[in-house]
Amino acid sequence: MRILLAEDDPMIGAAIQDALRDASHAADWVKDGQAALVALGSQHYDLVLLDLGLPGRDGQEVLASIRSRGNPVPLLVITARDGLDDRLRGLDGGADDYVLKPFEMAELLARMRAVLRRKSGSAAPVLGNGEVVLDPATKEASVHGGPPARLSNREFSLLQALLQRPGAILSRTELEDRIYGWGEEVESNAVEYLIHALRRKLGNEVIKNVRGVGWMVSKNA
Amino acid sequence: MDGFQKRLNASVQRKLSFTLSLAILAAAAVAGIFSFVSAFAEAHELQDDVLRQVAQLTDSRHLPPTLRPGGGDEESQVFVQRLAESPASSVDTAAGTFLSLPATLPDGLQMLKIGGETFRVLVKTTSGGERIAVAQEAGFRNEIARDSAWRTVMPLLILIPVLLLIVADLIRKMFRPIAALSRDIDQRSEQALHAIDDRGVPAEIRPFVVAINRLLGRVAQSMDAQRRFVADAAHELRSPLTALSLQAERLSETEMSAAAHERLAVLRQGIERGRKLLDQLLGLARTQSSAERPTAPVSIQAVYRHVLEDLIPLAQAKRIDIGVEGRQDAQLWMNERDLVALVKNLVDNAIRYTPAGGRVDLSVCLAQAHIVLRIRDTGPGIPPDERTRVFDPFYRMLGNEQIGSGLGLAIVRAIADRIGAEIRLGYADVSGQSGLHVEVIVPVAMTER
Repeated sequence: MRILLAEDDPMIGAAIQDALRDASHAADWVKDGQAALVALGSQHYDLVLLDLGLPGRDGQEVLASIRSRGNPVPLLVITARDGLDDRLRGLDGGADDYVLKPFEMAELLARMRAVLRRKSGSAAPVLGNGEVVLDPATKEASVHGGPPARLSNREFSLLQALLQRPGAILSRTELEDRIYGWGEEVESNAVEYLIHALRRKLGNEVIKNVRGVGWMVSKNA
Repeated sequence: MDGFQKRLNASVQRKLSFTLSLAILAAAAVAGIFSFVSAFAEAHELQDDVLRQVAQLTDSRHLPPTLRPGGGDEESQVFVQRLAESPASSVDTAAGTFLSLPATLPDGLQMLKIGGETFRVLVKTTSGGERIAVAQEAGFRNEIARDSAWRTVMPLLILIPVLLLIVADLIRKMFRPIAALSRDIDQRSEQALHAIDDRGVPAEIRPFVVAINRLLGRVAQSMDAQRRFVADAAHELRSPLTALSLQAERLSETEMSAAAHERLAVLRQGIERGRKLLDQLLGLARTQSSAERPTAPVSIQAVYRHVLEDLIPLAQAKRIDIGVEGRQDAQLWMNERDLVALVKNLVDNAIRYTPAGGRVDLSVCLAQAHIVLRIRDTGPGIPPDERTRVFDPFYRMLGNEQIGSGLGLAIVRAIADRIGAEIRLGYADVSGQSGLHVEVIVPVAMTER
């Protein structure tokens, strides 16, 4: 994959470029906004990493310029500003996601993958959080690459709801909403029963209970 | 006296009241003395006229030698008698006594001492060549004159105190807008640097108010600049920190000895600590300058969940049982980011200071006029004499090996101050003197607006 990196800080730029190469991407590094626009005009890139605090033409301007040309290239903003306004302006301006400095390379790579997945229109069919993987096609779940376990429809719906946003806590009501359709009668303790069943199949550690709030699967497990 | 002088000079109002009162009193004294003296003289003049008229009447009509005005008491008696007559030969006894007047008295008005009493005597030679004397007791004349003089002065004496009261009241009323203004300025919080309203302020004070407003503007500007500096500095520090952490991350992927790996891990922890401090600094700068108005009420339970989602990994790493007690919820009309920052800092502290295997509880409770957010832990707690100081930025409790930024509680305090909430710290386990129990008491007014 060919990636354009627009970053004016030499240390950060060099580190990201090296890390991208380590991850077997081709990375071109430019240090100001004008150079970024020139590079984009002469070469096809699969993804752009854009620092908002560029000298000359700042990142915001570059972003507007890219989008006004109708260039749909997936674009991730790197910013040191975490003011809500700055973030909203970035996203409204056509960025696909943003990463806040300081960040870890692993996080940046994960965000890049997510943006590409969304952009290609095929949201990954397989859900997972690094610990458990769920395949919607077969309704099978496996833990740490172990043998897949077959899930019932409701067990699948529950685990799917949790895996859609690992780290988020879902309350009993929210889980019931996901499992039962309109007009279906909700059995009492249904959520506890399903979680008990899932734990028997996948182990106790996969789904965690947060006292008084709900259940979750951990993020980056 | 010195103190009085000082107080006078310090207050225009007092000075004005004092000098005005003094001037009124002086003017009143002069006017009073003058009118008293002139009324007194006037009355004497009048009485002399009476004597002259009596003499005139006696002359033309040959009235009986002793005359007594009808109905008068003895003191007001007017004596009319011929001079050089033997008092004994004069038999008429209607008035009692005759005055023994020397026959050598010259014509005209004079004061005469007769038998221990002073008389005013008018001696006149009639057309018939007779010399007559008309006399009246001087003491009585003086009494009449004094009475009439007092009557002239009396209204003045009554009106002066009234005038003094009116003046004092007027002055106080005139100074009321100034007193109100100073009260208004005095009650401001240090964040309220908006201009003073100069409507209703007297024209003499307005230039002063305008000058204060200009100063307030400059102070607000410089405070703003300072806050921006903190925010900008923190932002700027992010870039070198990013470079550091990226390099350290790359380094960890290279081949190295176990000892080197261990040291690198410590290095990365240090970088993480710097990142956290920066975040907190920015958080504090944002809290202190935030002018964002809330647009919708925030559910406390939703904020609890949000905070738990962020902090669960930290709690799980220490095997801390963390959770929410009760299903009570409440809506607060405030900035969601602020409420999250407040709760997150408190819960983060609770997890940090609670030993592994401990317990942290969050709850919401509705009292009559307050909503109380409670966070309890099973850590060591904070001794009573440290409870006010822990809110100071960068304050660290003695014997505390926890690595925090030292800004968490300062942020909590800044947010609480802004929404008018009170923070109470106590022991979760009072008898065992352990565990921290934090209550954030928010006035109900925050829920409806």
